[in-house]
Amino acid sequence: MSTVTTNSARAPTSASGASLAASRKFKVFATTFSITGPVAYCLCVYFNWPVFTYFPAIGRFAWGVSSVQSGTGPNMLWYGWTLTTILIAGGLGIIAMMLPERVTNKIPLFLVWLIPILAIPYVIYSLMFWWRLAMRE
Amino acid sequence: MTSPISTSAVFWTIWLFVHLILALGLLGALTHQAMATAFPARQAVGGIVTRFRAVSAPGYATAVCVLYVLVFLVGSFIYTSYRVNIRIPLEQGHYFKTGGFFDFKEHVSTLGLVLLPAYWYFWKNAQNPEYDNARKGVTLVLAIMVWFLFIVGHVLNNARGFGS
Repeated sequence: MSTVTTNSARAPTSASGASLAASRKFKVFATTFSITGPVAYCLCVYFNWPVFTYFPAIGRFAWGVSSVQSGTGPNMLWYGWTLTTILIAGGLGIIAMMLPERVTNKIPLFLVWLIPILAIPYVIYSLMFWWRLAMRE
Repeated sequence: MTSPISTSAVFWTIWLFVHLILALGLLGALTHQAMATAFPARQAVGGIVTRFRAVSAPGYATAVCVLYVLVFLVGSFIYTSYRVNIRIPLEQGHYFKTGGFFDFKEHVSTLGLVLLPAYWYFWKNAQNPEYDNARKGVTLVLAIMVWFLFIVGHVLNNARGFGS
């Protein structure tokens, strides 16, 4: 009877994918990006740092935060927050790639899954205006 | 002659359907992988549950990343119509919990998106035991997020889907 070890099996990868997966610098970039990304997103929401604001009713973009005015319809900040988060986390990932190996080896990998879990309570709190309205009903 | 409103409703409904199909693919792939990670099967033979867990989990990593990004992009596109045509009537109808949960969904989708680089790297180095715990953790967190996104999207569509 044959026994398979399904989870330790090597996955077939393309040449570029294999080189990226073998790269120590990519490891540093990827882990830094994923650890700092949720923190950056919470900061973007808290301080309201969108790269741009989108007005879906009129299809108009505006740089930074742009409030609703007469005739513009509702504004959307989420796209801008997401882009800001990617830029911040990407920038920090690139900076981390330049650090010496003795420093980057100390990055705790469990933070990759712990930080997004810790971000959830803040995200729920940031939506308090919805929950307050719901409780009034 | 077709009115502009019904043409628009068909357009968004088709995109919503594309979003659903891609999301189902993502959900299936990630659930297989999460099960294989959390409860690894020692043998490929057995009942349906064992076979469900006995997949070659590393092979799903790139597909999960590609599907997540596609679902994210299509969802972001549909979101423009949601903001004008769905959310405003939801607010007017005092469906505040539904609206709140959709905003929660948008936040969770971004939190999941930023996990993808590390998730992909850990799975492409599945033979390295150094990453076992991190890989398991990030896969389970991502799977829970995707299930949450799917359920909220599904309930919201039932509450006020396109064309309603």
